[in-house]
Amino acid sequence: MTRFAVPIGLIAFCALAYWQTTQFDRVPPILLRGMQPADFPQMVLLLIVVLSMLLIVQAWLARGVEAEGGDPGADHEPMTGNVWKTMGLFLVFAALASFDLFLGLGVFAGCLAFLWGERRIVMLAVVTLVAPACVFFLFDEVFEVRFPRGLLTNLWYG
Amino acid sequence: MEPFIGGLMALADPQLLVLIFAATLAGVIIGALPGLNATTGAALLLPFTITMDPIPAIAILTTIYCAATFAGAITAILINTPGTSASATTCLDGYPLAQRGEAGRALGMATVSSTFGGIISVVCLMAAAPLMARAAYNFAPPEYFALTVFGLSMLATIGDGSPVKNLIAGALGVLAATVGKDLLTTVERFTFGMSELTEGIGFVPVMIGLFGISELLVQADRLTVERRQVIMKAVKLPSRDDYRKVWKTILRSSGIGTFIGILPAEGATVASMIGYNEARRWSKTPEEFGKGAIEGIAGSEAANNSATGGAMVPTLALGIPGSPTAAVILAGLMIHGLQPGPTMFTEQAEFAFAIFWAMLFVNLLFIFIGLFGAKLFARITFVPVQILWPIVFTFSIVGAYALDQSFLDVWIAIGSGILGYFMRRFGYSVVPLAIGLILGGMVEKRLGQSLIMLDDQWWLMFTRPLSLLFFALTFLALFGPLLWRRFFTQRDPLKSMGE
Repeated sequence: MTRFAVPIGLIAFCALAYWQTTQFDRVPPILLRGMQPADFPQMVLLLIVVLSMLLIVQAWLARGVEAEGGDPGADHEPMTGNVWKTMGLFLVFAALASFDLFLGLGVFAGCLAFLWGERRIVMLAVVTLVAPACVFFLFDEVFEVRFPRGLLTNLWYG
Repeated sequence: MEPFIGGLMALADPQLLVLIFAATLAGVIIGALPGLNATTGAALLLPFTITMDPIPAIAILTTIYCAATFAGAITAILINTPGTSASATTCLDGYPLAQRGEAGRALGMATVSSTFGGIISVVCLMAAAPLMARAAYNFAPPEYFALTVFGLSMLATIGDGSPVKNLIAGALGVLAATVGKDLLTTVERFTFGMSELTEGIGFVPVMIGLFGISELLVQADRLTVERRQVIMKAVKLPSRDDYRKVWKTILRSSGIGTFIGILPAEGATVASMIGYNEARRWSKTPEEFGKGAIEGIAGSEAANNSATGGAMVPTLALGIPGSPTAAVILAGLMIHGLQPGPTMFTEQAEFAFAIFWAMLFVNLLFIFIGLFGAKLFARITFVPVQILWPIVFTFSIVGAYALDQSFLDVWIAIGSGILGYFMRRFGYSVVPLAIGLILGGMVEKRLGQSLIMLDDQWWLMFTRPLSLLFFALTFLALFGPLLWRRFFTQRDPLKSMGE
């Protein structure tokens, strides 16, 4: 089913984006040089729609092959629990990063390592504490990147 | 001649040489680490180069490109897992040789072939890039537009995915490039009131997301994969007999790799496949291929390494990336305010030649690193993914933030990573999306300039010989394989006889 769902989803996205392009400001013809700002994105969106329709046609023509089990790659194995959990950790990171970027990174890294099977305390400490601290000092001191203030970064910035 | 020597002088700085040596080691480690490859490595290291001068910054990126491509062979031979997709064909003969206790011979051949392939391609790059740039010097916007369209059309052939899916991914990249202020009219598009988006979507967070974070999710799917290393006693150079057997293969594959690399968007993976196939076709003992043929390793490795030099030709001379990693390097050039194209060889010729010399130097370093460090680098492959990837994520996020010091870039990187994962899952390569994002701004700008130049009569582009040539090439790139298949299916005498 994904062979139909993805191109249909793309067409729906393009329809939405096309509507958005109709909201762009237009340049009065007297001042216009070349194209209107919406023209190029609209051309690209139409191209994506045409290509998506082509995919639907291809999928339709290949459905007989699929039914006979001739195209095993057409549909997909369900995503493993690890992927879902890793994506869930992105949400944890997003929530914590609003308090402190490095707090979010440390917790994410530690949880990810644990989730993926790491149980050694030293290794967990390396990914949770040592690696984010090293990256922070590398970028702060060497590349002079100023990070947003937060619970942990304030300890350094004062 | 002056920029040729000037570039060499620029590279003679001891600090820069140390930096290139360190980048070579980093590149080899990246190539040997599970899931990381040249493109991901270059994307992750891009933020580190932002505060540097252009020569060391781009030299580091090109070094990573060459070194990671080379290092893929180490894991291909020792654990039957190509460190990069470009080394997939090296597994076919490298691993059987290693299983027979000849891992050293296989690695030695991979090192020597890679070095020769790399050097030959850099020499071609030094000769071809200025010539190509000179030819492109008189290009007007319509020619540039047609050339960029041709570059985009080549995305159809990237990887082993469906051409239509590749084109959709490329078009999505071009669409993403329209976010922000329109260059000609300054009207804001798709910014949704966010001031950070007025300058458009940054290349760095998207690259980091597409190549780094999406790979993290792919690795989450593969946690159970086991890797076993073949025991290697010592690395020895190939024998004189081996050289006698492979020198023609190395030369042929170097030529193939350089040519494939020059083609827009085609890269080392395609080159290694063709190089390997040609090595088998011309071999006196084709039956040995797949069972440990030394020519197979030479054919594959010389081709994939020479593609790196070839890929830099259109990247520097025309501003059209010759491979996915070259696209990241192109993004690096743009971030440093450099304009790839014909002017690079007139206004920044010393810079261009410094990069060429750096690539030549890196290829020479392979001999030492490949022969003396292979055993050590093979161990790096066994860094546990549960340690490696959390650290990669930390680097990715900080790297995405560092360029503009904007939190929006962090969300763009994560969003691109999730998008990239689902794209890969559904058979859409992420490479066309990245290249589309880079070329999207150029193609729109050049179309706008062409319309102004031709007074809105777009069809006049087809009356200009060079534009017409590029449009014809675009047509061939898109429909050539289809026509070829149809033509030969109809005229295949064996098929018509029912055999």
